[in-house]
Amino acid sequence: MKPPVLSATGRALLDRRTFLQQFGHGAAGIALATLLSRDRALGASAVRPVIDPGRPLAPRVPHFPAKAKRLLMIQCSGGVSHLDSFDWKPELLRMDGKPMPGAKENFITFQGENGNLVRPLYEFKPRGRSGKMLSDLFPRIAEMADDLCFIHSMTAKSNTHGPADCQMNTGFIFDGYPSVGAWASYALGSEADDLPAFVAIPDTRGVPVGGPNDWGNGFLPAVFQGTAFNASQPIYNLAPPRGSSSGTDRAVGDALRFLNDRHLEQYPGDQNLAARISSYELAARMQLSVPEVSDLAKETAATRARYGVDDPDPIKSGFARNCLLARRLLERGVRCIQLYHGAQQMCDLGAVNWDGHRALKAQYDIHGAVFDQPAAALVGDLRERGLLDDTLVVWATEFGRMPTFQKGASGRDHNPDGFTVWMTGAGVKRGFSFGATDDLGYKAVQNITTIYDLHATILHLLGLDHERLTYYHNGIERRLTDVHGHVIKETLS
Amino acid sequence: MSSRTSSRKVSPGSARTEDRFAGGILTGIVRLVPVVFSVSLAAAAPVDFLRDVRPIFEKHCYECHGGQKQKSGLRFDVKAAALKGGDSGEPCIVPGAAAKSFLIRLVASVDEDERMPSKGPPLSPGEIATLTTWINEGAVWPDGVDTTTLIAKTDWWSLKPLHLPRVSALKPAPRIDEFVAAKRAEKGLAASPRADRRTLIRRLFLVVHGLPPTLLDVEAFVADKDPRAYEKLVDRVLASPRYGEKMAQHWLDVIGWGETHGFEINTPRHTAWPFRDYVIEAFNSDRPYARFILEQLAGDSVAEDRATGFLMAKPALLPGQIGKDQESKDRARQDELNDMVTTTGAAFMGMTLQCARCHDHKFDPVTQADYYSLQAIFAGVRNGERLLHPDNRLSDPQAYQQWSQEQVAATLAVIRHEPVAGSGGLRSEVNGVRNIDRFAPVRTQKVRFSVKEVFKAPATDTRAFLDEFEVYSPAGRNVAREIKGVRLTASPTARAQNLTDGRYGARQGWSTNGKPGWVEIDFGSPQEIEAVVWSRDRSGRLKNQVSIDYQVEVEGADRTWRVVAGSETRATATSAGEKSPAEGSDDTGARAATERLHRNDAKLAAMLDAEMVYAGKFEKPGAIRRLARGDVNLPKEEVPPGAPREIGPPLVLPAASSDPERRAALARWIAQPENPLTGRVLVNRLWQWVFGAGLVATPSDFGHQGAQPTQPELLDWLAQEFSGHGGSVKHVMRLLLLSGTFQQSSHPNADGMALDAGNRLLWRFAPRRVDAEDVRDGMLQLAGTLDLRMGGPGFSVFEPNDSYVRIYKPKESYGAEEWRRMIYMTRIRVAKDSTFGAFDCPDFTQDQAARTRSTTALQALNLFNSPFVMEQAGHLAARVQREAPGPVATQVHHLFRLALHRPPSPQEAAVCTKLALDHGLPAVCRMIFNTNELLFVP
Repeated sequence: MKPPVLSATGRALLDRRTFLQQFGHGAAGIALATLLSRDRALGASAVRPVIDPGRPLAPRVPHFPAKAKRLLMIQCSGGVSHLDSFDWKPELLRMDGKPMPGAKENFITFQGENGNLVRPLYEFKPRGRSGKMLSDLFPRIAEMADDLCFIHSMTAKSNTHGPADCQMNTGFIFDGYPSVGAWASYALGSEADDLPAFVAIPDTRGVPVGGPNDWGNGFLPAVFQGTAFNASQPIYNLAPPRGSSSGTDRAVGDALRFLNDRHLEQYPGDQNLAARISSYELAARMQLSVPEVSDLAKETAATRARYGVDDPDPIKSGFARNCLLARRLLERGVRCIQLYHGAQQMCDLGAVNWDGHRALKAQYDIHGAVFDQPAAALVGDLRERGLLDDTLVVWATEFGRMPTFQKGASGRDHNPDGFTVWMTGAGVKRGFSFGATDDLGYKAVQNITTIYDLHATILHLLGLDHERLTYYHNGIERRLTDVHGHVIKETLS
Repeated sequence: MSSRTSSRKVSPGSARTEDRFAGGILTGIVRLVPVVFSVSLAAAAPVDFLRDVRPIFEKHCYECHGGQKQKSGLRFDVKAAALKGGDSGEPCIVPGAAAKSFLIRLVASVDEDERMPSKGPPLSPGEIATLTTWINEGAVWPDGVDTTTLIAKTDWWSLKPLHLPRVSALKPAPRIDEFVAAKRAEKGLAASPRADRRTLIRRLFLVVHGLPPTLLDVEAFVADKDPRAYEKLVDRVLASPRYGEKMAQHWLDVIGWGETHGFEINTPRHTAWPFRDYVIEAFNSDRPYARFILEQLAGDSVAEDRATGFLMAKPALLPGQIGKDQESKDRARQDELNDMVTTTGAAFMGMTLQCARCHDHKFDPVTQADYYSLQAIFAGVRNGERLLHPDNRLSDPQAYQQWSQEQVAATLAVIRHEPVAGSGGLRSEVNGVRNIDRFAPVRTQKVRFSVKEVFKAPATDTRAFLDEFEVYSPAGRNVAREIKGVRLTASPTARAQNLTDGRYGARQGWSTNGKPGWVEIDFGSPQEIEAVVWSRDRSGRLKNQVSIDYQVEVEGADRTWRVVAGSETRATATSAGEKSPAEGSDDTGARAATERLHRNDAKLAAMLDAEMVYAGKFEKPGAIRRLARGDVNLPKEEVPPGAPREIGPPLVLPAASSDPERRAALARWIAQPENPLTGRVLVNRLWQWVFGAGLVATPSDFGHQGAQPTQPELLDWLAQEFSGHGGSVKHVMRLLLLSGTFQQSSHPNADGMALDAGNRLLWRFAPRRVDAEDVRDGMLQLAGTLDLRMGGPGFSVFEPNDSYVRIYKPKESYGAEEWRRMIYMTRIRVAKDSTFGAFDCPDFTQDQAARTRSTTALQALNLFNSPFVMEQAGHLAARVQREAPGPVATQVHHLFRLALHRPPSPQEAAVCTKLALDHGLPAVCRMIFNTNELLFVP
C-alpha cells in the first residue's frame, strides 16, 4: 500500500482559490501575518500583503507595476573607502600630507585622533565613453562605468560597524529588524517554487559584521527570513542525516504523510496543519533543487574562467563560486539575494574585510584582487543573459572612510557622513552619477542621501511604496524606512 | 448673522507619513469628532479672530497645518493645538507678545529657507500686520468657534478605571464562561463540548509546562473517578517547578532578554543568567505582582540583586565599539536609556513610551517631557555587571579562602622552577594569565611596574591593565598582600585599586588611560623579596591589553631605582599568548608544579562569576535634558524624574532623589491599584499564554494604535480578580485553566468556521503549534534524555569560541550537557539554535510580546534531518525497546502510547510496523518526532 501524498482534504485546503474564497476579505493571514483585530483603525495608507498561511511564499502582486522582479545586493563588509575606489577627489592630491582644513587640533573620529590628509591610494583614470573617473582598485568594475549609477552622497546613521551594517541591511541601527530581503519576500513572495525566496550568501570566511541579523526576519514571520548558504557551506540540515539511506528517508516521509493526513481528517479546514504537511513537500523538493543549483560543474569552462572559479587563491575562488551561485539562483527566480564580500573581524583589523584602519593599501590590494573579477563577471553575465532587464543590482558597504590617515597608522577611519554606493540593472539610469561629497570627500554636500532613501528606491523599483509596506509590531506600523526616506527619482531611468 | 455647519472626522493616523520628521500632534488630545455649532460674528473690533485671522490661516496655513496634515505636529484649525505649537517646542503664539511668537518670526522671515509658508506665496505685509496686532492684543480666540474639537488622548478604554460589570452570583471559574457565552451568543455560536481527558491533560501540560504529560500522568488522570480530578490536576500542574520555567520563557520574550551584548561583537554576558533563575523562582513562588515589578526595577533596594537584570535586557554597544567622538558617546548613552524606558513601558504598562523620544507621542498621552522624565528615573543606571550584595552572592567565602591559600602555595612551587631574569637565555613570552619575574633576592621598600607597550586587539584600545600584582619573599609570603598598610601610587593618568588584595579578575586592579604608565607598591618598610607575579586577567577571559613591553624596578637604599626584570629578557611577545611559564618544560617537577597551578586556576572564573551579576551598575544620576527631535545635539530644558503626567495618579519625586529611590518610586507608581494599565496588561498576557491569543491582540500596546479588547468586561473582571487576590498570577492562571472555555474541544465545526474562523469568540480551543522550546523539550522528555536540573549557568549549542568578535558555529553533536530544558540554553542574540530556532524562536533582540507562528521548509528540514533529532530518535528507540521488549508491533504500540498517549489505529500500526521492520525502530521514532499530532497543542 502506498499512502497518498496529500489527502484530498489537504489538497483542497491548500488550493489558492479555495483559500481566497474562505479568507479573501482582508482577514486572511489572521494566523500568520497580523495580530490585529479587523476593527482596528488601520492607517489608511498601510497595505499589508494578503498572505495565505498554506503558501506564504506564493507570488504576490506589487503595489504598482515593478521595474525589477528580483534584487541582488552585493555588500562589501567593513566599510570600503570611497576615496580610493569610486569618489574621485583631485583636491586630495594637492592637499596630500596637509592637515585637515578647519579641523580642530585633535581631529577625533571613531577610533580617535587623526593625522594629515592622504591622497587616493589608487590611480584614478577616465573610464568608458563617459570618462567617469574611477580607480584601479576595481579595474574590471571600472570598465563598466557606462552601465553603473553611482550615488556619491550616501550617509549612514552610525560610525560603528555593527549598527551601520544593520542599517544598510535592515534600515535600523539596532539588531532585530527585518532585512531588505525579508521585506521583499514578505511583500512579493517568490517566483521560485523549489528554492527559498530569499538567499543570503555569506563570504566563505564567515558572516559579515552584522552577522545573521543582516538577513533576519526580525519580527516578520520566520518564513520570510533569508536562507543562508554559499558554494562552500550548504544549508544546515538540507542533506539527509549521516547514516540514513535515501530509501529510509523516503519511507519515513511516506509514513509521516500518512499519519499527518489521518490527523488532518479530524481537523477539517485547519490551515496550519495542512501547511505543515506541504512544508515537507517543499523541503523534499529543496533537497533536490538546492544541490542542483549549487552544482557549478555544469557551467562551461569559459564561464568558470570568467568568474575565477578555479583561481588558485581559495578566497578568490570561494567568492567567485558564490558569485556564480548568485547568478544561478537569480535565473531560477529567487526573489532576493544578499551577497557578501568580507567577514567579521577574526584577527587583524581589515585582514578579512574592508576595515582599513592600519595598512589600507596593503590590505585593499588583496581584497580588490579577490572582489573585482568575480563581481564584474557576475554583473556582466547577468547583463548578457538579459537578467538585468528585470533584476536590480545594488552594491553597498556600511560606510566610507576618512580623507586622513589615523594618527600613527597607514589607514583611514570610519566615515558615515559621505560615501558611495552604486546600482545597475532594472529601472536604473546607466552611466549616471548622483550627489557629491565635498572637495576632500569628507562629507556629502550635494543631494545628500540616506540609507532610507536607498531602501525607498529599492522598494520602488520592486513596485512597492515604502510608506505603505508595513507590519505591525509593538505598537508601530513598522516600515523598512522607519518614518523617513524618499525615492531617489533622479536615478530612475 | 451667519451660521455655519461643518463636520469632519479624522482618524488618528491621518498625519502619519506626511512629515519627514513625523512630528507628534498634541499633548493630551488626539481624536477629532464632528461638532455642530453656530456663531454670530461680532461687530467691529480691533482685530477679530473669525473675521480677520482665521481666513489668513485658512488661506496660507491649513494645507499643511490643518485637518488633513499636521506637519511638524502643528495645526491652526484648533485653538488648543495652535496655541501649543508644534514639535519644535518653540512658542507658536504668545498672547500679548508677537515678538516672542514663533509664528510671526516665521511668516515675516526674510530667509527663504525659514519663511512660512514653505510652499506658495508669502503673507502680505497687511496679513502679517493683522496677525501681529491680533497677538499683541492678546490673541483672542473665542471658544467654541472651531470646526472641530479634539478629544483627549486620555479618553481611551485602557486608561479609564476598571469597569466592573454586574455579574451573577456564580463561582469565579464559570464566570469567565458567562462572559464568553454572552459574546458568543451575539453571533449565535455555541460552545464546543468538553474535550476528552486525554486531550485535556495533554493540553494542560503543554500550555502550563511546555512539556507533555507522561504516560503515567495520563493514565492516572483518565482513571481518576474523583469529580474534582481536573481541579486537582490543575493545582498539581501549577505547583510544579516546570510551571515557572515555561512562564519565564514568556516573560523573557516580553522583555527581549538575552545573554550577549549583540551587534558585531556579540560577546557573552557570563553573569546574566541569575536573572533568568530569578524570573523562574518568582513565578514558581507566585511572587505578588507588585513585588515582581519592584524587584525588577529596584531589586538592589530590597536584597534581590539579580532581578535588575530586567534593566539590562537589551543589546548594547561596548566602549570599544562606540566612537571616540562625543556625539557617538552621547547617542550610545541615549540608546541605553531608551532601552530601559521602552522595556519598562512595554512590559508593565503596555505603552509605547519610546514613541515620545523625538516628539510628543502622536496617539497616546505621553509627552516628550514625560519620556525624558522616565529617562531621568534610570539616569543612574549603566550597562554592566556589579558585585552582588553579600546576601545575594552565590559564592562561598570559605571556598574562596581555601582556593586562595592553594593558589599561593601552588604559585610558590612554580616560582621555584622559574629561571632568574637575566640569568642567560630568553624567558617565556608574556601572557595574559600569569607572568612570573624572578630575580636575585633583594631588600627594598618599594616595587615599581611600568609599561610602555601593550598587545592590542583591537588596535583601538591602548590601555594597559593589571588585575593583580603579587610580590613574594624568599620565605614564601606574598608581602604585597599580607603587609597591612601597603600603599599604591599610580602614574597621573592611571588608576589603581585593590591591586594587591588577593582577589583576581579583570574587574579591578590597575589601568592606564592609553599612555605609558606605572604603578608603585610601597610596603611601608624594607622587605626581602625575590619574585613578582602579575596578570592581565587571572581568570583567562580577557587577553588583550597585556603589557608586553614592561619593566620591574626596586628602590635601593639610596632612593635610586634599579631594574630587576622586564620584557627584554623574555622572548618577543607577538601575541597575547596563553602559555604559562614552565609549560612544555622537560623538568618533571616543573611540569607537576605548573599542572597543580593550572588545576587551581581553572576554578577561578566560576568563583568570580558567582560574585557578580550582569544587572546594571548604579551611580549618582546625572541631569537629563529633553532633546529636541531626540537629537543629542539639541538639548533643551532639564527634566525632573517622573512618570507620564496624564496616566494614573501623579508621581512626585524631588529632583535630588537618589537613583534607587527613583526606580523604586516608579515601580510603586506602576504597581498601585489606581494605575489602570498594569493589571489589565498582565491578565491579558496570561490569557494569551493560555489561549494562544490575547483578549487584546497587541499585548504590549494598550494605546490608541493597539487593538481593542474583544471581551472588555471579561478583561476588567480578570484584572479586578487579580488585584483582589494580591496580584497573584497563579490565582488568575487557575481561573483560566478551570474555565469551561479552556476545556472545550479543539475540533472545528461548520458554524464556527463559517462565522469566526479566527476563533475570536472562543467557540473552541484553537489548536496551535507548540513553541520552539516545547518542540525540543518534549522531544527530550519523550526520548527519556531530558535533564530537569534547574538553574545555574546556561548551556551552549555553539562550538566554544573566544575570538574578539564572537563566531557562533553550531555544534555538530550534542551530549548530556545540552539535554537540559531550552530555557537554560544561553540566549545568544541573533544566533539561533540551528534546529529549533527556525520555529519562530525570537532572536533575543527585540521585545516579542507575541510570537509569530509560521510554517517553513527549513523547519521541516531541521526536524527531519538534524543530527540532534537523529540522536534523540536513537535514544527514543532504545527506550521503547527497553520498556517493551518483544515483537516490533508491540514496540510500535508502546511508542504511540508514550508519544501520543493513544494506541495506533490498525492502519497506523501496519504502516509503522512495516517501517520499523524495513528501516529500524529509530526510523519510526524520527517519523513520530515530525508528526503534527505531537507538535500541536490539541
